[in-house]
Amino acid sequence: MSKAFFIDTSRCTACRGCQVACKEWQEFPANHTKQLGWGSHQNPPDLNCFNYKVVRFTEFKADKRVFWNFFPDQCRHCLEPPCKVAADAHVKNAVVIDKDTGAIIFTERTRKISKTGFLQMKEYCPYNIPRRNEETGIINKCDMCLERVEAGHVPICVKTCPTGAMNFGERGDMLALAQNRLAAVKKDFPDATLLDEGSVRVIYLITHKRDMYHHNAMNEKPAQDASMA
Amino acid sequence: MTNHWIDIKNTDCCLIIGSNAAEHHPVCFKWVMKAKEERNATVIHVDPKFSRTSARADFHVPLRSGTDIAFMGGMINYILTNNKYFKDYVKNYTNASFIVNDNFSFNNGLFTGFNPQTKLYDKKNWQFAVDEKGQIRKDPTLQHPRCVINMLKQHFSRYTIQKVSDITGVSPDNLLKVYEAFTATGKADKAGTVLYALGWTQHTVGVQNIRTSGIVQLLLGNIGVAGGGINALRGEPNVQGSTDHCILYHVLPGYLPLPRANMPTLAEYKKKTTPLTNESTSVNWWQNRPKYIVSYLKGFFGKNATKENDFGYNWLPKGDIPKSERDGDYSYIYIMEKMLKGEIKGGSIWATNPAQSLPNTNKNRKALENLDFLYMAEIHQNETTDFWHAPGVDPKKVKTEMFLFPSCHRAEKEGSISNSGRWVLWHYKAVNPMGDSRSMGQIMIDIMKEVIDLYKEEGGTFKEPLVNLNWYKKYDAELVAKRINGYYTSGPNKGKQVNGFSELADDGSTASMNWLYAGSITDDENRMKRRSLKQTPMQKEIGIYPNFSWCWPMNRRVLYNRASVDINGQPWDPSRAVIRWTGATWEGDVPDGGAPPMAMKGGKSPFIMLKDGLGQLYGTGLVDGPMPEHYEPIETPLRNHGFSGQLNNPCAKLATSEMDKIAAPADPRFPIVLTTYSVTEHWCGGSETRNVPSLLEAEPQLYVEISHELAAEKGIKNGDPVIVESMRGRVEAVAMVTVRITPFRVQGRTVHLIGMPFAFGWTKKGIGDATNRLTVWAGDPNTSIPEYKACCVNIRKADKVTELA
Amino acid sequence: MNYSRRDFLKMAGAGAGALALGGLGINYLVTESYAKKLKIKGAKEVISICPFCSVSCHFIAHVKGGQVVSTEGDPGYPISEGALCAKGATMMSMINSHHRVTKPLYRAPYSDKWEEKSYSWMVETLARRIKDTRDKHFVSTNEAGQKVNRLDAMFHAGSSQMSNEECSIVVQAQRALGIVNFDHQARI
Repeated sequence: MSKAFFIDTSRCTACRGCQVACKEWQEFPANHTKQLGWGSHQNPPDLNCFNYKVVRFTEFKADKRVFWNFFPDQCRHCLEPPCKVAADAHVKNAVVIDKDTGAIIFTERTRKISKTGFLQMKEYCPYNIPRRNEETGIINKCDMCLERVEAGHVPICVKTCPTGAMNFGERGDMLALAQNRLAAVKKDFPDATLLDEGSVRVIYLITHKRDMYHHNAMNEKPAQDASMA
Repeated sequence: MTNHWIDIKNTDCCLIIGSNAAEHHPVCFKWVMKAKEERNATVIHVDPKFSRTSARADFHVPLRSGTDIAFMGGMINYILTNNKYFKDYVKNYTNASFIVNDNFSFNNGLFTGFNPQTKLYDKKNWQFAVDEKGQIRKDPTLQHPRCVINMLKQHFSRYTIQKVSDITGVSPDNLLKVYEAFTATGKADKAGTVLYALGWTQHTVGVQNIRTSGIVQLLLGNIGVAGGGINALRGEPNVQGSTDHCILYHVLPGYLPLPRANMPTLAEYKKKTTPLTNESTSVNWWQNRPKYIVSYLKGFFGKNATKENDFGYNWLPKGDIPKSERDGDYSYIYIMEKMLKGEIKGGSIWATNPAQSLPNTNKNRKALENLDFLYMAEIHQNETTDFWHAPGVDPKKVKTEMFLFPSCHRAEKEGSISNSGRWVLWHYKAVNPMGDSRSMGQIMIDIMKEVIDLYKEEGGTFKEPLVNLNWYKKYDAELVAKRINGYYTSGPNKGKQVNGFSELADDGSTASMNWLYAGSITDDENRMKRRSLKQTPMQKEIGIYPNFSWCWPMNRRVLYNRASVDINGQPWDPSRAVIRWTGATWEGDVPDGGAPPMAMKGGKSPFIMLKDGLGQLYGTGLVDGPMPEHYEPIETPLRNHGFSGQLNNPCAKLATSEMDKIAAPADPRFPIVLTTYSVTEHWCGGSETRNVPSLLEAEPQLYVEISHELAAEKGIKNGDPVIVESMRGRVEAVAMVTVRITPFRVQGRTVHLIGMPFAFGWTKKGIGDATNRLTVWAGDPNTSIPEYKACCVNIRKADKVTELA
Repeated sequence: MNYSRRDFLKMAGAGAGALALGGLGINYLVTESYAKKLKIKGAKEVISICPFCSVSCHFIAHVKGGQVVSTEGDPGYPISEGALCAKGATMMSMINSHHRVTKPLYRAPYSDKWEEKSYSWMVETLARRIKDTRDKHFVSTNEAGQKVNRLDAMFHAGSSQMSNEECSIVVQAQRALGIVNFDHQARI
């Protein structure tokens, strides 16, 4: 088996069912958030050890039209996870790959990774995903609701999504779905694209050029990097 | 909703106006997206602010809050001048051909018969002309200058693109874009739906806002069809059911009018509340009213309701007759007036938070201090339970004696609720009530039982309704449901459940606590519990699930569905058929009555709840006019609006206490329009959701959304604390400076609008306090619903914060 | 090993996926399974309905030992098909909230605090207040001399949070008392 998510942001309404359902399933406490000095619907402002998932909001005006893009951000469960490269250098198999799904799992052993090691993992991750619980030292992020998936359920964020933005299944099926949706969405959004679909298990479809999203929405420009190499 | 949630997928054009569906009914939006993706439907969002709904719409059209009638009036004008209406439908199914009597006229913003002293119209002037047999005079050729469609044409001819643009702030291009897209559904094989919510009702012209969509949808032939209708996205968890059961002063369960002082006997009640018609094809369903009121009384007083005592009719309270806009109105607006004056001594507030969510909150909080006692059932403490120690209030000066009963969560009790599409759904008890909490049903039963016992033991003033009450010993949802459904009280079927409201009688042989729910729980089955997804292929085509739960009336899923077929009973659009006449019977949905199609012998008109059986393009039922007319909100940045010299709705309900100050038109101190709204992550006043940590994390503090332009004018930066002030109060909030709010160009100048949620209150520290301290106690004359959506304010940067600290 | 992200990406990006992780000396063919224990396994499933907007999404409460241990959308409700929004996703927290009122509370006139009271004391004391107020202020006829039999001195502000059955009970009770000052959220 090889699982993947397909996240179709063209269908997302930012209801944040996924963000909150994830917290509820994981039984995480809330962060103390504020609007003072922040002034945005994006709360909490960023991923943290109690939010495996944050819906990011980007608004802009183009051609006299207002756009408001939503991006339910989470770990991409890379096929070849750089975080594991970094983690293994510190504590072997603190980060593992689940055999059944391909999920990247941060185990209890991440507790033994130093703060420097954690920062390295974070630096390695093209998507800036890993977070550390400063009290326990555990490094964490989305675990694909592995126990649900093994029992035949979909991850809770997928289960909760009302509009079909969140999808989950066999990677081949998700890739096919992603391509189908991309073709359909391109009619309205010529700039629509899939993000890093060849290297991740969480495939995003975005409707606008990548610079209309947050900095870490996709991997740094691989083509350019390749030419530099 | 005339239709239901799933039906939205059947539409070709979805006009979301006065609603922010994606934020306030998030899960329904899957059906909007489905229409978009599978039918290539156009989704239009008309709303002052660009929201998550706008983000997923094909286009968003910003409109100045309070100008919906101008906007929709422009569409009516566009339809009529460009002949965009659906001719067969209009001719056969609406009152387009009815001739209006000669007394009626419209002059400078007022219809005939207005009395400025009482603020009421004499509606006799608006009636249709009748012939010697009492039948309405008609011109089937639609040529008569006073026939309804020509009256409409004349009335709305003033709503030109330029004039509408000038007042709404919507550009002419945008107006035409919406008008063209939506009116393209005025064809047999197209359907358009209107989704509205509180954005339409919460205005002093709220009901007439909705009337405009009634007119548009009838002209386009969109009522009764799949993917059509006028769909009120009901706001609250069981607001459909609580409205059906009429927790409202003016009606008894099943929309039976409250007895009034001029109805001293049951016979007089029946006479005054039962409509009569001389139109031979009209079903005039309300002619059955006597059966429903008698069955209700029979349920209410049980065996103590007898023919001899008028079934206990005089044990029910009677309201005064409206002699002015405020007499006989016992709604919130006047409850708060009377409470402030000390005329109301005590009472109950159940699972609602008026010290947070009613307009002009400072007044309401003050009014509560004048009560002798108040009893409440709540799941969390909130601004109302704890008003007596709110910021600035000295508890030692507040006399109000408070009784707070802990009520349990829905998952801790069983019963039924009704969704917006009128599906009546059973929910089960998962766990025992927490602590010493109980269901609100149980608490009310216990309190009343005690009161009844006191009257039985001691006697007292007018004890009859209490000692004769058909009351309960303990709360058993299924038992109550059975009483609601109705049962035989005598005859061969005595003790058996009725199977539908056609079995209810006016002789006391049946009892029913709500005729609309007759058929929901019979001797065979609690239909509200049904979970089968079984459908016929025809039902599957349009997403009707007749075997899932039960739906009032009589499991009919699309109201007025007889208008979805031509006069021979064949669907306007066979690919999207709701019902179809097979030659002997109807198939598909449960039809609006079993009569054959209109063209056949015994055929009936489709609008069975309307007296004359036809859709009302011109209606004589509302208090503020037979046709909608644009008026400005009670507080407006304009001095005049150009449609007439009548600035505001002349019939609007206004509170008049010293605390109800209203800014003069175009008051320079308050030049900015404020609109208020809910937020996805919180529920209304917020007392439940603020206490769920992950929801407070997602929306933590009171904010005000303002445009970059206004922010620049006022020197406000994103995230700054600001003060928003109106004539009535001042509120601290955090500025959210956004491109999603745009300044409006109105009458050649800039009008700014800002928006605020109302979910944040002082009982949660540091999140802000009631936005409604700013809003105005002015109500729609038909419903008394307050004008939350538009008032006038100003905004400035705050030097320090207290409410947000 | 001391790669920066950019270095790593350069390597990973060199040639069409030429450098697989295996090339970096990492064994990623893990054979373990890492699933935690499924907390809803063996739980009783009870269907209830989200108490917020009138889409009325159904949810399944997973119950163990008389406690709700998890909630999620009910796929059998054809409108929501198992989905929930942010609010609906928090049913478990909402039901189990420590902030809930769990004891009958009473606040005496001019007092600055709540007092816990027994349920029966509350019911009895309140019933007396209601009766006294009704007996004293009941109105048989209005100013015009018409029979009205009503209690103008009391009011009820009701709720759309109640089930239909509770609504029916509350309407019957309040009307039997003679109350006409009677309203709820449908009007706001």
